[in-house]
Amino acid sequence: MNEHSKKKLTFNKSTLFSLKAELLKKQEEVLEKKNLPKHRLENYKPVKVLDKNKHESNNPKTLKSKLKAIDTDELEAQRKSKSALEKKAELYEHLTDNAGHSELAARFLVDFKEKKQQGITKPDVELTEVQLVEKEEKEDGDWIEFTDCLGRTRKCLKSDLDFYKKRDKELMKRMPGFEEDESDMTEKKAEHPFLVQKTKDYLQSLRQKWEEKEKELLAKDEDIHYQDILFDEARMHGVGYYAFSTDESERKKQIEQLMKEREETLKAQKQAEELRKKRDELVAARVAAAKARQRMRLGLPPEDPEDKQNEFRKCLIEFLNEKKTEADNKANEEEKRLKEEREKERQKERDAYIREWDLGKEGVDDKATKFRVMTQEEYVEKQRAKRINEFAPLEASTSRRSKFSFDTQGSKVDTQTNIKECDSTKKKTWADVRQEVRPLTPPPPEISDLNQKGLYFSSKKSENSVKYKNFVKSGDPIPIQNELSEEEDNVRRHDKRHIECHSEIAPPPTYDYYGPVPKTSKYPKPFESDIRESFAQGTKSLETKSTGIHLPKHYDFTFD
Amino acid sequence: MASSEVSFSRKITEDLSNVEFDTSEDVEVIPTFDSMNLKDELLRGIYTYGFEKPSAIQQRSILPIVKGRDVIAQAQSGTGKTATFSISILQSLDTTLRETQVLILSPTRELATQIQKVILALGDYMNVQCHACIGGTNLGEDIRKLDYGQHVVSGTPGRVFDMIRRRVLRTRSIKMLVLDEADEMLNKGFKEQIYDVYRYLPPATQVVLISATLPHEILEMTSKFMTDPIRILVKRDELTLEGIKQFFVAVEREEWKFDTLCDLYDTLTITQAVIFCNTKRKVDWLTQKMQEANFTVSSMHGDMPQKERDNIMKEFRSGQSRVLITTDVWARGIDVQQVSLVINYDLPNNRELYIHRIGRSGRFGRKGVAINFVKSDDIRILRDIEQYYSTQIDEMPMNVADLF
Repeated sequence: MNEHSKKKLTFNKSTLFSLKAELLKKQEEVLEKKNLPKHRLENYKPVKVLDKNKHESNNPKTLKSKLKAIDTDELEAQRKSKSALEKKAELYEHLTDNAGHSELAARFLVDFKEKKQQGITKPDVELTEVQLVEKEEKEDGDWIEFTDCLGRTRKCLKSDLDFYKKRDKELMKRMPGFEEDESDMTEKKAEHPFLVQKTKDYLQSLRQKWEEKEKELLAKDEDIHYQDILFDEARMHGVGYYAFSTDESERKKQIEQLMKEREETLKAQKQAEELRKKRDELVAARVAAAKARQRMRLGLPPEDPEDKQNEFRKCLIEFLNEKKTEADNKANEEEKRLKEEREKERQKERDAYIREWDLGKEGVDDKATKFRVMTQEEYVEKQRAKRINEFAPLEASTSRRSKFSFDTQGSKVDTQTNIKECDSTKKKTWADVRQEVRPLTPPPPEISDLNQKGLYFSSKKSENSVKYKNFVKSGDPIPIQNELSEEEDNVRRHDKRHIECHSEIAPPPTYDYYGPVPKTSKYPKPFESDIRESFAQGTKSLETKSTGIHLPKHYDFTFD
Repeated sequence: MASSEVSFSRKITEDLSNVEFDTSEDVEVIPTFDSMNLKDELLRGIYTYGFEKPSAIQQRSILPIVKGRDVIAQAQSGTGKTATFSISILQSLDTTLRETQVLILSPTRELATQIQKVILALGDYMNVQCHACIGGTNLGEDIRKLDYGQHVVSGTPGRVFDMIRRRVLRTRSIKMLVLDEADEMLNKGFKEQIYDVYRYLPPATQVVLISATLPHEILEMTSKFMTDPIRILVKRDELTLEGIKQFFVAVEREEWKFDTLCDLYDTLTITQAVIFCNTKRKVDWLTQKMQEANFTVSSMHGDMPQKERDNIMKEFRSGQSRVLITTDVWARGIDVQQVSLVINYDLPNNRELYIHRIGRSGRFGRKGVAINFVKSDDIRILRDIEQYYSTQIDEMPMNVADLF
């Protein structure tokens, strides 16, 4: 195990011993095998070379054949794995060269120091046979050869090697000029973050690639697509994922091709479906014919009465189902309609809604003024416009042309006396001037805080937004004309014909609803004559229905 | 229903602090993408991107957004929120009109770029043009790209506002504004910028808010810029994902955190891991210390030049770097499928950030692990988080590596 390793492994001692024993055994085995003639390197080498040749001769063939079959994806993967392997080999070489001096070595479980020490003998062995023999002799005598800093080969006992090496180093230090030493130091420094350096180099190359790609993108005056900005992202896509080309025309072609193939697939599916249908039909016809033949042979009539009955039942069920679905549909539709209506209403509200952050934007303030809270009278007026005439109070009571007016008790009052009263009291209310003054009504005042009372308020004061129908500015009273004077009256009527003049005192606001019912009515009562007739018609229709053909009682459902 | 109407029809000034916001009624659930009536090209894009069945949020939110309603959508982290609005946007786009129709704002540049990527991926068959309009990039290039005509612009508020003011980004045709990580966008730091941008949009523009966390005060203010929104919300006790296991490691002193991290390093590199610190300086410090101890890590924070940030992101996305030490700039929205471990070297400053940070792992149904380093006085905070989200944070087991 590696001493440098920071990992603390837990084990018991017996395993350690057995491991040691195993190791020794293996080492011995190796030594033994090494000494066998067939494992001699000189015997082995040619085989290796041959093998290599074979491999090389095979390679182009397979590559060629592969090139045809393999698509770009696999090639890319191959390239990647190859580069990764190369990197690995480089790293391994580096580690073995430095034989554990590298700080990196601490991170691997392999003890490169030991490996190197063991391996030192091997390269020596590989040289020549003569040297090998010498070596063996040396090994026998435990002598070892080494080269000192001055390039001299020296011999010493194996056990003394460390001592001599130390001395050699000291000698080197004493040598004039420390260049070698320094270079050694720098070498060490450069070596220090070797792996980091390697990955950094790789990342640098990647970054360069991305940067180029980005520059290309910026310069590109065409559409940008997903592939352009993917930047080697490791992401799982769906099974149907297809990496388009980054070249626009190529991409278009690819899409076209894809669509074409899709269409073809659809067509093929359709055809297969049709074929199957046809076949099924044929089979069914054949079966029917066979059945008929069988019946013929048995002397039965060609059609089964049971079938008919069945058919009837089927028809009935179908009919019933139809009715049921119809009813369901109707209910659903109704529900849907209601929902839609509600939604429409809500949409209207939404359309009218003004967001606080939108205030002041173009077009918003118009909208803000469009919606405001109506006054009570405006609202009543609006509702009146909607009212179906039939439900209106009788015209006689509200008509402006009416010759009569009514006081608060509901009794008829003569217009003239009314006016008199009005004149005599000279009390002015809005109602007093209601009809007369309307065309002259000055524009209503601004009532800004009325807006604020509503749902939506605006910081902008909207002019003319609120109109009081009968509002008169208090500072600008309109004189009441003396309607008693006939002359004046005539003149006035002549001048302002369009103004319909009747009672000066308006009935109370609740009059329309609670006022008296006039005694004489010009209109016939609605429906009076119709009732009898409609009764007759109803009974008639019932009679005809009862005589109609019915389903038997047990089939008679009602679907509600 | 009652609650949703309150904010709509009452006066804006009304106090909503006591109103409880719920998911709107009659939100339709559509179980498949096929039955959503989407464009063929879009459907193809969805399937090739890897989606097969819509997630809960996708089943509920896509249709209302396509219909043009204002939507507030909340869902757990990594359940496809970005895809939700991306699909809706692509469905409602008119690609023949070469004008900016949708504006997406997000709090970080990386997130804006990621959204651009998703839009382009889902719309790969639709010929959609989407531009990432973010700070730290060349202004001239930005202008040129916008001039070229972009259907969708995904950006950060500062640069987008700049582009609008320069009239390079024309807002006339914008019909939808999407605020991703909406609670962050409407927080103090960003709200003014969002307002500034909003003022340039046509009135009553459709607004979509998306986030995993939507605190009450954010929901309260939505009536100022949204009309009767449809809410799809998640109760906070359902906000943590089952697939993300949460643990803590108790350390007595701050210095011990580093040793713990070193011990965990082998576990980190099983897939990919993100380590969160609370300050940029601490990120730098920790990165340096880890590198000195011969651990390969990369780091990212807001003070780095954009170019460097981009490169770090690309390296991490491509799997070239496996351990990333970063700040909360990475807390929200960033989606790297391979991340399965998040370490809170420091506990986050608020509860929402906790959800977002641990949500960097366990993406779209994958498993994830979150490990919190806590000093003894931090345990109280962790317990508070645990209680708030009704979740469980246990002491880390020895075999944590088996959980991936």
